[in-house]
Amino acid sequence: MISFLLAYITITLFAMLFLGIYGVATRSNLIKKIIMLNIANDAINMLFILIGYRMVFPVFPPVYEKHITFREFLEKSVDPLPQALVLTAVVIGMAMNILLTTYAIQFYRLHGTVDARDIAEVMRGDDE
Amino acid sequence: MKRDILVAVSLLVAFLFIAYAVTVKNVLGLGGAELRPLGEFYLSNAFAHEGLTSHSPEVVTAIVWNYRGFDTLFETFVFFLAIMGALSVLRLTDEQEKLVRELEATMPHRQMDLIVRATTKLVVIMIIAISASIALHGHLTPGGGFQGGSAMAVAALLLFAAFSKFTLERKGLTLKHTISAYAVGLALILATVLAPVFLYNGKVLEINLLPGEMGLFNLDVGEYLAVAFGFLTVFLVLGIPEWVFKVVLRGELND
Repeated sequence: MISFLLAYITITLFAMLFLGIYGVATRSNLIKKIIMLNIANDAINMLFILIGYRMVFPVFPPVYEKHITFREFLEKSVDPLPQALVLTAVVIGMAMNILLTTYAIQFYRLHGTVDARDIAEVMRGDDE
Repeated sequence: MKRDILVAVSLLVAFLFIAYAVTVKNVLGLGGAELRPLGEFYLSNAFAHEGLTSHSPEVVTAIVWNYRGFDTLFETFVFFLAIMGALSVLRLTDEQEKLVRELEATMPHRQMDLIVRATTKLVVIMIIAISASIALHGHLTPGGGFQGGSAMAVAALLLFAAFSKFTLERKGLTLKHTISAYAVGLALILATVLAPVFLYNGKVLEINLLPGEMGLFNLDVGEYLAVAFGFLTVFLVLGIPEWVFKVVLRGELND
């Protein structure tokens, strides 16, 4: 049962990842592209956390506490390294988000559209 | 349309292949009960490794501080670059800013109901208390400067929605002040990072960053200030109403 649940969660995360890539590739609205990019980003972060998980009971967070012995801590605690990597990835994702959203908003204010096909036209019109 | 189907089919094939590899063949090694050797090293050595450590009981924070200090520092730089990129795209000249202020003064002063405002006041106080607790306990419990700063930015967004941008600006929360607070946070981070150079004769590459709880606490507070006010700066610029921006940018008069 528990292995079925784990496989289910993993497949769902991969489906989210590919759905995000599909959305970025096919939608022409920039805001939709940004949303799909975020979905793909979050799916990857969740996958990282899942890789660090351990199938033991009860499972502890990687925080030392007084009432746990060190041996018990090593046996029951999850892997802290994926969490440390995701910590950085979250901040970078946030920074990317700010920049992309700002560009989309400014483009809308200047040219009145966030559609990728219209943007190509506007750019062509600017050159002539 | 035909191209969309092509993309969908190819991604579906890739998805099926990866799903087979992950679930049946278990290439990622999910669901094991034993710890990976690297994880075991970090769990056993994070608190008291030889040399100078942060002495943080939280292993994720200890990894970030003891082994990945420059990673954390350059992450702050990336965030700084993103905020500066956003500001340089959205910036206005002095005459344009004067025009924006004149246009905003003609607008009717809008804010939400008394009930919404009173509730928002209560909730904002609680959110700020929680964000401070997340940020200032960052070296002992899960959480830290970035998480606390993000929570603080949410409080600012609530104020934006319930009151208006003008109410905040009249209370003294103008763009200049938020940028100054952002700079103070960044300066605190930079001082924490540069302190080992003066304290330990330039051995900055050997001991990474300032050891002990004091350095971590300083970085937490600096990151908290920087993230909260960096977000707030972008919100303040984005909070200018759409039609005002259009009038200023396109030189069109609204009808």
